[in-house]
Formats: sequence, C-alpha cells, structure tokens
Amino acid sequence: MSYYKIISLMPKAPAYDADAQAFITATGITDVTQKNAVNQLVLDLKGYSIWTKFNALYPFVGGTATTHKFNLKNPLDTDGAFRLSFIGGWTHSANGALPNGTNAYANSFITPSTSLNLNSTHISYYSRTTGAVGNCFGAANIGLTNRTLWQFGGSNNYIAIYTLPSFYFSYGSANSLSMLIANRTASNLSNAWQGGIKKATSTNTPTALTTVPIYFGGNNANGTTDTYSNAQCAFASIGDGLSDTEASNFYTAVQAFQTSLSRQI
Amino acid sequence: MIVAQLIPKQAEQLKGFEFRQDSFFNPIQDINDNWIISLEEQRQCDIYWVKDLPLIEYLPKETTNLF
Repeated sequence: MSYYKIISLMPKAPAYDADAQAFITATGITDVTQKNAVNQLVLDLKGYSIWTKFNALYPFVGGTATTHKFNLKNPLDTDGAFRLSFIGGWTHSANGALPNGTNAYANSFITPSTSLNLNSTHISYYSRTTGAVGNCFGAANIGLTNRTLWQFGGSNNYIAIYTLPSFYFSYGSANSLSMLIANRTASNLSNAWQGGIKKATSTNTPTALTTVPIYFGGNNANGTTDTYSNAQCAFASIGDGLSDTEASNFYTAVQAFQTSLSRQI
Repeated sequence: MIVAQLIPKQAEQLKGFEFRQDSFFNPIQDINDNWIISLEEQRQCDIYWVKDLPLIEYLPKETTNLF
C-alpha cells in the first residue's frame, strides 16, 4: 500500500464550524468533549438564526480565567473584542467561574450607550448557585439612573433594563438557579426568563442607555463596584432583545451545551 | 468570612495588579475602613508578603437598599 493510501485511511480530525474553531484556537482548549460542545453550541445558535443577535457569548469552558475570558463571537484578547477581565476573588473550574460575593466582578467592556440598543437588549447569566445574593450583572449611571441589572434579593428577583431607580420589575423566587435572561424587546416591553420559562413582564419604559460597561458578578455603579454576587456562572451573553421564540430556543441551545459538559441545572 | 488585611500603601500597590494570569487584585474597604483582599486572591497569588498578611473577619460596609 502506498504512503498516500495509508494517509487517506487515517482518521481525520472533525471539522469544526469556523467560529467555533476560532474560539477553540484562542482558548487553547484541547478536551474533545469541550470542543464538540462549543461547536454544537455555535451550530445550534446559527440553526435557530439567533447567532447574529449577540455582541458577546461567554461559554466559560476550560476551567481557567484564561479560557473563561474569551468572547465566542470575537475571540480576540482585547477590550474591544469584549474579552472579560476578572477582578478580585474568583474561583475557576470546569463548572464555570465562581465570584466570592465580596470583591469579585468581571468587566465585559460592553457599554450599552456605544454597543447596544435602547429598545432591544438582552443579558443572560447561567447561574449554578441556589440562594445567591447580589447582582449577577449590573450597570447604572449616577443616581442609579439608566439602570440595568438582575439582582437576587432574598425571595425576589429584581430586573431592570435602562430604567429609573424605581422602575424595576420583579418576581418572587428564592431559587437563583439556571439560565436567567433579562430582555427588552420594545420601549414598553421587558421580560425576565429563568430556566426557559418567562417569569415576569414589564411595561416600564427606558430612560437612556447606560454609559458605563456592564459587569458580571457585581454592579457597575457609575465606576464604583457594589452589590457583589456569589452566583457561579457557567454561561453569559449580551446582545439584542429576543422574541419569545428566540429566548426559548436560546435556552434550549445553552441547556444542551451545559448538558454535554455535565454541568446543567 | 475571613479576609486578608492590608495597610493603605499595600492596597495601592495591589490595586489592578495581575496576581495570576488574567486575574487582577481588587482591594476594598470594610465597614471600619480596613483595606482587605479575599482569601481567593491571597491563595492564588505568588507574592510572598501577600501570603503573610494578617487575617481578619470581614464586615461589609452598609449598602443602600436599592428597592
């Protein structure tokens, strides 16, 4: 048998989607399960026609700050590519990134006023911690105006997207687990999703886009960080508002991703 | 919760310093205005004097109820 025939009989490495491959290359992950999970996530999001809805997707695979920081949509190691910067006490593992609830947050470098739309924005956070406290994400201007957040407050979840301090909405649940999506799809329509279920809807109108970057694991109070959270993060995203069907499909894709990594809630 | 206590000069030194690849110190003040960092930062860094910092109970500053 010739050399060329032997080569052609050798098993070939799977061909990944180009966007998935760029992320795999940037993070340096080598685990086949993780690589396949990322690839399938990209294919699913494209299959649902929602891939273009995202400014940033953070899969939190690989178990280190270095692999967790990359944005799947643009896996460059720059602020402009919305690569996360981990500040304070985080613990990174195969299950995601765990902020300590004391001084840990991650800067997304995504400033709504320069990157997002007033009447079309979503932010998601896949929490693996029950009974969590603080803000799993947040940003606000002086006087807590133009406030964007998801806050765990005892038996309630508080959500706001670009509103005045008193114009939050909430729903009762001490369970802070699973995929949380704060979503605005119109000037008079916001909603909150948990575990693929729409939990609350609001007609609160937005005031203006927040002019400071969105933080995960805490709240960016116009440049000062507060309301730190202890919710372990296994996925996060920021992008356009999602229709009910899109939000549901997004959850389905992310839940399949988490299941393939054996860390689903 | 136990945290590691800093003097102000140490806090200034550590602020924003990369203690491990892609992880940065974040000294904050407690309710008594003591500067502190978390045990996660202390454990994960390789700076010898940070390892020797005294440990204290963390008492957070009062925060305004947002709602």
